[in-house]
Amino acid sequence: MPVRPVIRLPEEVLTRPARPCGPVDEQLAALGEDLIDTMRVSPGCVGLAAPQLGVGLRAFVVDVTGHRKARSCHGTVVMFDPVLISYSGAELAREGCMSVPDLTGDVPRPTSVVVRGAGLDGTMIEIEADAFEARAFLHELDHLDGKLFLDRVPGPSAVFQRRVYR
Amino acid sequence: MTRHFAVSAVGGDRPGIVSGVTAALAEIGCNLEDTSMTVLRGRFAMVLLVAGPDALESDQLAAALQAPAAGLGLAVWVHDVDESVPDRLVGESWTVSIHGADRPGIVSHISAALAGAGVNIVDLSTRLVGGDRPLYAMLLEVVVPEDLSGPALTERLEAAAAEVGVTLSAHPSGADIL
Repeated sequence: MPVRPVIRLPEEVLTRPARPCGPVDEQLAALGEDLIDTMRVSPGCVGLAAPQLGVGLRAFVVDVTGHRKARSCHGTVVMFDPVLISYSGAELAREGCMSVPDLTGDVPRPTSVVVRGAGLDGTMIEIEADAFEARAFLHELDHLDGKLFLDRVPGPSAVFQRRVYR
Repeated sequence: MTRHFAVSAVGGDRPGIVSGVTAALAEIGCNLEDTSMTVLRGRFAMVLLVAGPDALESDQLAAALQAPAAGLGLAVWVHDVDESVPDRLVGESWTVSIHGADRPGIVSHISAALAGAGVNIVDLSTRLVGGDRPLYAMLLEVVVPEDLSGPALTERLEAAAAEVGVTLSAHPSGADIL
């Protein structure tokens, strides 16, 4: 399965709500595989949404395996037409996005979520996630609504230039 | 081809300052790049890095800003800037927060400790608040060179903070890429 280039702002596909996927077929499953492969080759990447590959469909992958801030961890989760069932808690943390590579921002997000959607094989899955995994799901869900972390920061002093790499 | 200018302006805060200054800049073909604008104790302060047409001279730019400056009560400065861009800094990004009773020399003392350790300040803002016992708060984003460990940085900064009687906390501000 091919690794695809990650689309960056100001590409419009990133700011438009994505379309529903419908029943999972071969084509969608291939998109899911592309999401996984592209995430895996991107250093430090813990999730990727279809609009980031230029595809305006409601699909994403999340995988926080091995991340130091992760508490719950469900491994590699691909979801089509995901829905946020419930959320609670609130926490501010700094996040970045492969589609906005030069900026980071402090974003308030719930600390635990329940998300439901179709898995890679089309069966419905429901995931209860907290801490960093919850943040990853919420960040990817935002992509499906055309929202970037820049739309969520609490003020101008919460956006930073990502000028430093280690 | 474009050339770059630094434009700064300060004046009593009121609606219309950004609009007045940026309209005059747009009029002469200038494009705003990185900018920082905020209210400092009731004065609106702006620092703009602006790209202008190659033929534009800084005195022409200053002349174009004269009318809005007069109308808005702003002091304005315009400077040519060197076209070469400094090398990207390498190191870890840290957030440093300092607060304590106000006194002269807090910024100079803390920044001297940072400079002495080869730490580069990339963002800094300070606020003086309160009445009888004024509180001074200082927030910095710094880039720590690769050969300086986190504990070594914290130790140096805490020592400097203690010398001027302020409380300091510092933590890596690295973002997680989602």
